[in-house]
Amino acid sequence: MTVSNLPLFSMLRTRMHWHQERQKLLAENVANADTPFFEPKDLAPLEAVSSAVPAVAPLKLARTDPGHIGGGTLGGTQFAGARGQVFEKRPRGNAVNLEDEMMKVAANQMDYQAATTLYGRSLGLIKTAIGRR
Amino acid sequence: MDFLKSLTIAASGLKAQAGRMRVVAENIANADSTASRPGGDPYRRRVPTFRAEVDRALDAHVVALGRIRPDESEFRTKYEPGHPAADANGYVKYPNVNTLVEMTDMREAQRSYEANLNVIGATRRMLQRTIDILRA
Repeated sequence: MTVSNLPLFSMLRTRMHWHQERQKLLAENVANADTPFFEPKDLAPLEAVSSAVPAVAPLKLARTDPGHIGGGTLGGTQFAGARGQVFEKRPRGNAVNLEDEMMKVAANQMDYQAATTLYGRSLGLIKTAIGRR
Repeated sequence: MDFLKSLTIAASGLKAQAGRMRVVAENIANADSTASRPGGDPYRRRVPTFRAEVDRALDAHVVALGRIRPDESEFRTKYEPGHPAADANGYVKYPNVNTLVEMTDMREAQRSYEANLNVIGATRRMLQRTIDILRA
């Protein structure tokens, strides 16, 4: 059994690959921020690998009294989070919004950091198991 | 290695914006360059163009500075009969450079340059994080 075969590590690896690829696309968008007729691109969000992770039942508030209003599930908000189409376009047909791209770069970096930290911690877990610390 | 690709793409952006800056500097420096002989044409403003270029090795759209084209608009004229470059009617042609336009162009190039630098910084930090796994 190698480390890379563990589902947790392979999932994190997929995630890190996804962030790398996204960083490449974002770099392309920023580099072409002044190129005529350039449309920015982004990666489709990473889908959860359902086969590797057993489905987690959504967390619910318990009703201790029949008079309580039932609490909704806590999974995400009901609002549409992502803006769909870009609506801003320059006269030369360039649709890159530099602020938007900067936000995406920062978000990408933070998510990547989360993944690598998690990876490091998981490695530490295994090291603990084999008694290295 | 995808991070190196990101770095190369951002570097192509830096290079293109630096080239644009060079053209802007040229225009500003020559904003008052008249012809050397009477009735001749003065310096003509130059316009940088950008184009997206597919880099086969990187499999990505890098940006490159395209041809630098002349601005075909009219020259400014001033009535200066004593000027060495004045034509028969005493008019001197000055370059079609508008310093205000060049300044805004320069600012835009500066902002885009900074944005590319930002991407390089972010990519570098991500790369550093990956290396930090080894140290954990």
